Amino acid sequence: MKMNMTGRKINNYKTDKVKKVLVLLLLVVFGVYLADVLFSLEFGKQFFTDGVKDFYLTKGPMDLKVSNTITAIIVNFRGFDTLGEVTVLFLATTAMGGILYKKRHKVGARTVLFPSSQIVMAGSKILFPAIILLGIYVFVHGHLTPGGGFQGGTIVATGFLLMLLAYQDYTVSHKVLTIVESFAGITFTVIGLMGLIKGSTFLENFMPVGTLNNLFSGGLIPIIYIVVGFKVGAELTGLIYTALHEKD
Amino acid sequence: MVGSPILFVAVPLLAAFLIPLLGFIWKELVRIVPGIVLLYLLILSVSLYSQVLQEGTIVEQIGGWAPPWGINLVFSPFTGLLTTLMLFLAFIIWMYSYRFKNVDFEPSKKYFILLLMLVTGSIGIVLTGDIFNQFVFIEIMSISGYALTAFYTGRDSAEASFKYLLMGSLSSMFLLLAIILIYSQLGTLNMADIASKAHLMRPEFRVLALVFFIVGMGIEAEIFPLNGWAPDAYSQAPGPIGAAFSGIVVKAGIYSIIRVTFTLFDVEGSMQFLVLMGMITLVVAEMAAIKQNKIKRMLAYSSIGQMGLVLVAFGIGTEEGVFAALFLMVNHALIKPLLFLSGSYLVFNSTEKSIRELSGLGKYLPLTSFLFALGAIAIVGMPPLSGFWAKWSMLSAAANSDMILVIGLVLMVSIVEIVYYFRVVNRIYFFKKEEDVEPKKPTLNAMVSMIVLGVLIVAIGFYPDLITSYLHEASESLMDKGKYIQDVLSAG
Repeated sequence: MKMNMTGRKINNYKTDKVKKVLVLLLLVVFGVYLADVLFSLEFGKQFFTDGVKDFYLTKGPMDLKVSNTITAIIVNFRGFDTLGEVTVLFLATTAMGGILYKKRHKVGARTVLFPSSQIVMAGSKILFPAIILLGIYVFVHGHLTPGGGFQGGTIVATGFLLMLLAYQDYTVSHKVLTIVESFAGITFTVIGLMGLIKGSTFLENFMPVGTLNNLFSGGLIPIIYIVVGFKVGAELTGLIYTALHEKD
Repeated sequence: MVGSPILFVAVPLLAAFLIPLLGFIWKELVRIVPGIVLLYLLILSVSLYSQVLQEGTIVEQIGGWAPPWGINLVFSPFTGLLTTLMLFLAFIIWMYSYRFKNVDFEPSKKYFILLLMLVTGSIGIVLTGDIFNQFVFIEIMSISGYALTAFYTGRDSAEASFKYLLMGSLSSMFLLLAIILIYSQLGTLNMADIASKAHLMRPEFRVLALVFFIVGMGIEAEIFPLNGWAPDAYSQAPGPIGAAFSGIVVKAGIYSIIRVTFTLFDVEGSMQFLVLMGMITLVVAEMAAIKQNKIKRMLAYSSIGQMGLVLVAFGIGTEEGVFAALFLMVNHALIKPLLFLSGSYLVFNSTEKSIRELSGLGKYLPLTSFLFALGAIAIVGMPPLSGFWAKWSMLSAAANSDMILVIGLVLMVSIVEIVYYFRVVNRIYFFKKEEDVEPKKPTLNAMVSMIVLGVLIVAIGFYPDLITSYLHEASESLMDKGKYIQDVLSAG
């Protein structure tokens, strides 16, 4: 018989069934209420007139010279949130590294053990530089085109994933990954603190904004997005690497 | 200008990113740096707090945009009090766990990074003036929490961590839904702006958003039907982390609920709802605590019960009630970590961590046992220790609001509390030692941190005036919703 953590036996099939029915009923009542309220929220209809959106839409291109307003919101108006999100990723890698610490295989001994075919091995060698280049392009042009640091970093990490899957003995140095992600994080925070010193508030833009639609424009935004790109790339690569080398 | 509130978030983040690099230089730095950071922030927080008491709330803008367009941090007498308290506890916990895992470098590095981030997330929740930013900090706090729960990488700790993870994800989902609802109606995420416009929201949306918030944060604050993760997480996490959960994380959860019900929405009946949920939490948790045979689970249930009591006190809704609630919070934040810290030394070498194994340890670990007994006496509310004043102010607040039923129930539950705490103390002092138990002497740094907490409990017990004036300031600042809105929106 299975024991749960309080040490009591999991038993009594009948009360279990009653419980399940009760929970289901409760969920249905809750769901109906929720659906009722949410359906009355007509999608796409404008509810408010004096929110923050107009401010963002005009200030983004006019003051910050950023054509991608979403990037302006993410990195400038709400840059503090982005710093937090970057930290969340950092914590996820730290947590995974800490928990799987003792369960790591030696290099070359992995969970995915079947050898890849010649085509995959040859093809991934050709594709790898192209994927990395695309990733870098996406995060460098974050303030001009759709995409940005998070997306670009993820693309870079997929390049490494391809190499790790194609070649069994492909290794990524953990030390290098640690250094890259630490430096990226430090740069982001230091840029924020520079804003505090040079201007008056944390993460304030202290660089010239340039002209709209130029690659070198938007003040701090491209720099922060490049840093984020490096950080996300290094972190996701580290996550993939740790997961692939996990013992079962 | 001594410094600005943003440093409470920026400096620990910088330190967390630096720690892996510092580890390459000298391994001991990984342990030392978090302590230096926490001590610096504690000093900064104390000096900022005394400045705030004289000159009024500090509102810190971020990114150079005034609220409601940018994110802001609010360091008021209320949030400042909680920040100082959290930093103090964090420093104590750091000192206690300084030698933690000192044979194994990798895990200890991760441990200190995660501990630092757990504290930063909680402080961010308290300081921020923006609901989405609060959500981000909740994520930071809870992800560190999941990782620290699973830190011993056993089967049970993995189960506890997974439970916490599931509940935590549910909590994030509800919070996000609440934020989406509010944004879709008001077009703003700033708390003060929402508070000033909340009457424009249709009532059903307002109620739904409030419910989502309370469900989401109730998971972190351990309100009754949502606290299934807590006993497992407390008992499986390392001892100091149990202390951090009860002293820091839960306080952040309670803060968030209080901010939403007191400042953001004026929904009729929300106070009564708090009292009701608090009472249920209190009764159920204390009833569960008396049945436990493992020390950490018992402490966890007692912690849940205390949070219920805090909610009841907040729900009284008068300034006296809020004062009592804050007193209870401070009190619990000092006593429960002491119980966890000393308790985990009492069961250091045992695998079961059961109460039976505490028998007779009073002779072998006199000081640790004494501190545990002190904490136990304080938390049930015996005079002359600090718990007495907290409970007394809560009961008198309830009496002034004619809540006779509440008083009766709280007193009855207190008896239950006395029974299960004194059962343990009785075992420690008047039973014979189990033969297979090997007592482990606490290290010096752990001893010092426990003694500091013990001294504070006694000091507040004899001179409650040490903190009551601060608590009065804090409760005034929480109750004055108009001033909060004005302070934030007129900044910049």
